[in-house]
Amino acid sequence: MDTLQSLVSEAHETGDYQPVIDLIPYARVIGVECERFGEEMIFRLPRNPENIGNPTIPAIHGGVIASFMELTAAFELTLQLEQPALAKIIDFSVDYMRAGLDRDTFAMCKIERQGRRVGNCTITAWQDRKSHPIASARGHFLLDTLSSFR
Amino acid sequence: MNAHILAKCQRFIESLAHMRKLKMRVIRADEKSITVVLPVQEQLINHAFDTYMHGGVLTTLVDTASSLSTIPALKEYELCPTLDLRIDHMSTPVLSQPLYAYAECYRVTRNVLFTRATVYQENPEKPVAYAISTFMRPGEGNTDPAFKAMIDGDNVEEVN
Repeated sequence: MDTLQSLVSEAHETGDYQPVIDLIPYARVIGVECERFGEEMIFRLPRNPENIGNPTIPAIHGGVIASFMELTAAFELTLQLEQPALAKIIDFSVDYMRAGLDRDTFAMCKIERQGRRVGNCTITAWQDRKSHPIASARGHFLLDTLSSFR
Repeated sequence: MNAHILAKCQRFIESLAHMRKLKMRVIRADEKSITVVLPVQEQLINHAFDTYMHGGVLTTLVDTASSLSTIPALKEYELCPTLDLRIDHMSTPVLSQPLYAYAECYRVTRNVLFTRATVYQENPEKPVAYAISTFMRPGEGNTDPAFKAMIDGDNVEEVN
């Protein structure tokens, strides 16, 4: 997958990850962004009235928060692989701890174990501070065979 | 099919900005279950990586369907926040077909609701994903009264 490989290396060089993120249409629909700090990547979901799923608080749609976390993990894995390939989801489990208010949300993914075929990740999402998460999630992703042959 | 429950579900889904954005609709509802559809749409398609069309959005569909399944399970509408959600992805959905999510709330307790959901395309017997979820009941009087009245379909009398 030449296009992906060149997009990823260009993103690492320039620090602009948007072209990689925009490969997944739903990431663009909800407005996912990514910034790199040293070797750490923080994903950001800017406040967006179109992401509201509870008009009474108002709060972000729970599905949007889960999707944002799932995409965070998929991108983290994709960008960390030696030969990039879009990671494919196997399973995903999210615990909601607080309502996601109508403001910016952040997420980070930790790759707990990356085997030849499967990656195991944990993801934390927060708004005001990371030690005050709104949700935590874990998931398994299938890493493309192209990348695991190395 | 239950027209009263269907109408309640439709009022709920139509009141959410994100559901309107995704053109999600409730197509079936009865005393036990509901079915939601996510139509094929250009904003979710990347022609270069077609198999990844549903990255993330399937999760939103499942969360919505599971949440909607709490409506037939409760006599009066209660806005129940999600406690947790787990999805197993059995196969990759194709981009040319809509995605359907069938969900039922199979257990109601004083505080918690338990739901399960199946996501399929052409054949309900061949699911692309399974999901289980739990929801917290808000407790009496903790759902915004105007929102509750709107979903239940009562006439809201403005008292000033």
